Amino acid sequence: MHLSSRFTRVLASLSLLAAGLLPLAASAQFGNGPGAVVRTEQVRAELLAHAPDGAGPGQTVWVGLQIRHKPEWHTYWKNAGDSGLPTQLQWTLPAGVSAGEIQWPLPQKIRIGTLANYGYEGTVLLPVALTIGPDFKPGLLSDTLEVKLAASWLVCKTECIPEDGEFALKIPVRSSTAGQGAQFDAAWRAAPVDLAAGAASSLRIEGAALALSVQGLPAGWQGRKLEFFPESPEVIETAADWQQGWDGAVWTARIPLSPQRSNSPALMPVVLALDGQGQRIALPVNGNWPQAGGAVQVSTALQTALAAGPGGGRLAGAAAPSIGFWAALLGALIGGLILNLMPCVLPVLAIKVLGFARHADDRRAHRINGIAYTAGVLLSVMALGLLMLSLRSAGESLGWGFQLQNPAVVAGLALLFTLIGLNLAGVFQFRQVLPSSLAGFQPRHPVVDAFFTGVLAVAIASPCTAPFMGASLGLAVALPPLQAMAVFAMLGAGLALPYLAASFIPAVARALPRPGAWMDTLKTFMAFPMFATVAWLVWVLGQQSGINGAGALLALLVAVAFASWALAQHGRARWVTGTVSLAVLLVLGWTFGPAVTRQAPLAQQQADGQWQAWAPGKVEQIMAGGQPVFVDFTAAWCVTCQYNKQTTLNDPQLMAEMATRKVALLRADWTRRDPAISAALQQLGRSGVPVYVLYQDGRAPQVLSEILSVKDVRAALARL
Amino acid sequence: MMMTKRRALIAGAALLAGLSVNPAGAVPAVGQPAPGFSLTSTDGKTVRLADFQGRHVVLEWVNPGCPYVRKHYNSANMQGTQKEVTTQGVVWLAVNSTENASADYLAPAELGRWMQTQQAAATHTLLDEDGSVGKAYGARTTPHMYIVDPKGVLVYAGGIDSIPSARAGDIQTAVNYIKQGVRESLAGQPIRAASTRPYGCAIKYKS
Repeated sequence: MHLSSRFTRVLASLSLLAAGLLPLAASAQFGNGPGAVVRTEQVRAELLAHAPDGAGPGQTVWVGLQIRHKPEWHTYWKNAGDSGLPTQLQWTLPAGVSAGEIQWPLPQKIRIGTLANYGYEGTVLLPVALTIGPDFKPGLLSDTLEVKLAASWLVCKTECIPEDGEFALKIPVRSSTAGQGAQFDAAWRAAPVDLAAGAASSLRIEGAALALSVQGLPAGWQGRKLEFFPESPEVIETAADWQQGWDGAVWTARIPLSPQRSNSPALMPVVLALDGQGQRIALPVNGNWPQAGGAVQVSTALQTALAAGPGGGRLAGAAAPSIGFWAALLGALIGGLILNLMPCVLPVLAIKVLGFARHADDRRAHRINGIAYTAGVLLSVMALGLLMLSLRSAGESLGWGFQLQNPAVVAGLALLFTLIGLNLAGVFQFRQVLPSSLAGFQPRHPVVDAFFTGVLAVAIASPCTAPFMGASLGLAVALPPLQAMAVFAMLGAGLALPYLAASFIPAVARALPRPGAWMDTLKTFMAFPMFATVAWLVWVLGQQSGINGAGALLALLVAVAFASWALAQHGRARWVTGTVSLAVLLVLGWTFGPAVTRQAPLAQQQADGQWQAWAPGKVEQIMAGGQPVFVDFTAAWCVTCQYNKQTTLNDPQLMAEMATRKVALLRADWTRRDPAISAALQQLGRSGVPVYVLYQDGRAPQVLSEILSVKDVRAALARL
Repeated sequence: MMMTKRRALIAGAALLAGLSVNPAGAVPAVGQPAPGFSLTSTDGKTVRLADFQGRHVVLEWVNPGCPYVRKHYNSANMQGTQKEVTTQGVVWLAVNSTENASADYLAPAELGRWMQTQQAAATHTLLDEDGSVGKAYGARTTPHMYIVDPKGVLVYAGGIDSIPSARAGDIQTAVNYIKQGVRESLAGQPIRAASTRPYGCAIKYKS
């Protein structure tokens, strides 16, 4: 009796188990579902997926095309070499999901007679990361992410056959897809590792060859012979012999250029490899490309002579003409003057001028304050410049505005502006919240106050670039340190000049009305531009740290506002509310602080309407296809960029003209530090954003003004 | 003042010294003299580049076995380009550098027949079986196009059009570099897109 019931139970559980396993068996039989495999006579291509944590919003899911070649057949790498075409993947994805670029594994050099290609034999997996945004909604009935792929590849042995295939795959959102983890692991291991460009790494054009030096390669590689794979097509002579050597820890090479080179990239990413391991480094190209279509071949001797000649200094690469030192100084001065009108600086300037009304007759005080303000501005601009130059010489690739690429700095500025705004609005006075000794500091030492106002003005002015400043600063970083500091000093002088002039010209103080109630109204009014700036800074932080970071910052700002109000109260109320508010601030700071500074996953690469994301080498690729390219170098924290984005770059007529002329539109987002974009900017003679460039194959890039007008762009297009 | 004068002098001397003429045997860049040659056509004639001095010459590397060549012939794009260009007095020479041992090899008569069936408008179709002319020009793909001006200078080297693909649909949207280049060169202007990316199958050279 006991035995039979137990047996029944065992039987029942076994059959349940079997029933549970059946669906698994069924799905195993179907593999990834119909449509994930395409077979041709030469290859077996399959769409694979790797989603160990499911495919919900916020996840990154990996998909990839695995190509299994028949023996002796091959497909091509990103740069196919002398002939052939790279495999192309075109994804159809649901809303909210975007695909990144192919993470190409290390290729092989395949020789075919006197020619050579870069490609893959055997089996290769081309992985692509899919970023799933918050607005992804899986279908009601099927809880899956449907991925469709239209792929085309050229497979060759001695003859070539262009093939294509359509693939479809459904990735379950809530369960794990990790069956092909091993293949993806192998593909990631086979992909080259990124190597930062150190101070001794350089790429120079010397006559008809490229001279390459690379620092920072793995120690075990020293003394060994490496393989070389350039990602930019149509530059080097793929099949030619080239020389390499080691100079201590620095690897050097001399690679001949193709006589009929049709690509002149400003930045060349290259891959060096040893024993199946690759290191990828992107280097800006120094020197001038030999004239294609010119009547003479420019020799190295001539190039050196030209570089050392009058008006030379450093040639700004193959790009925009470099401007003279004196022009740079003038440009910096004018740029600084114009900065006073920018929304970043105007409130501060207004407050300072307000000070004239308060002490209308104390001309001596005005003059001293004016000088103190100027000193504050000059010293902080030069300190910023010095910091930037020293960081650059230490190998960091930075540009002007670099301080705003750090979310902690943006948060700090937001905090500062909030406090200033609250102070202006009358929520608290400095003497109420600070210890009496420190609070008394401000009125007793107006000079020091003026000095620090100057420092503040520089801190908030840096994101707004004015016309002329981009070129000046771009040149400044290439000059000897002393001359660079002179350019920065002129910028500070321009910024301080209006206030300095006002403080020395009695007419200004006299022109202002007598002190009265209007002063308080104006002071309170000035709080609002401050708060507006805070709103903008929170938006910038949102771009960098995501919505959570922005939300956390807002919470902290509320706590700070509360604390500043509490400390402005009197007596017991002050003690109670003050303690509570400080406690709240501490707790919030502890819990939310990291959220503010944590970098959000990179903004999705999806095409923003007609705009594609910029990537190193992409401009050259598109130009090689015959299209002109318009690149918008922008950043979230750059006000001028956003203004141009909403006005000029949104003009329907202009966009229509771009479309008719088949101009490819690329956007390079420099909101966070990106060495590739910094290098590209440097190549154009700039070190800050915005920069607008129109590229066309066969001519120098046209760099347009920072204050972009539709007329300018149309004129540039007409010159194509 | 003295410094700048001296520098200018050095620059000038270096300029003269730096003018390098293409040494014999090296692949020409655009702007250098196009290598001369003498090849046999599909109808048995001997054709030399020097025969066409004073006229523009377009060179087209062809291989009927290559899908990219077929893309332009099946769509009548190559024939259309040949017709447009030859009616303006330009000479069109189609060259086949495929070696004897290749599966793509076509005997002269067969190649001539294929060009005829395709209604090609090439002035001559030439055979370069040992690949010497192809290598002299640096030809790598089929198709690979060159334009030589009446003075014998290479003014264009690169692809037939601007979209490297095997899709015939791309021909409509692509820029035809030969039509454009010939038009500009005949008008006496320098060719805007003088060096472009050639795309196609690798030429089956004799190794």
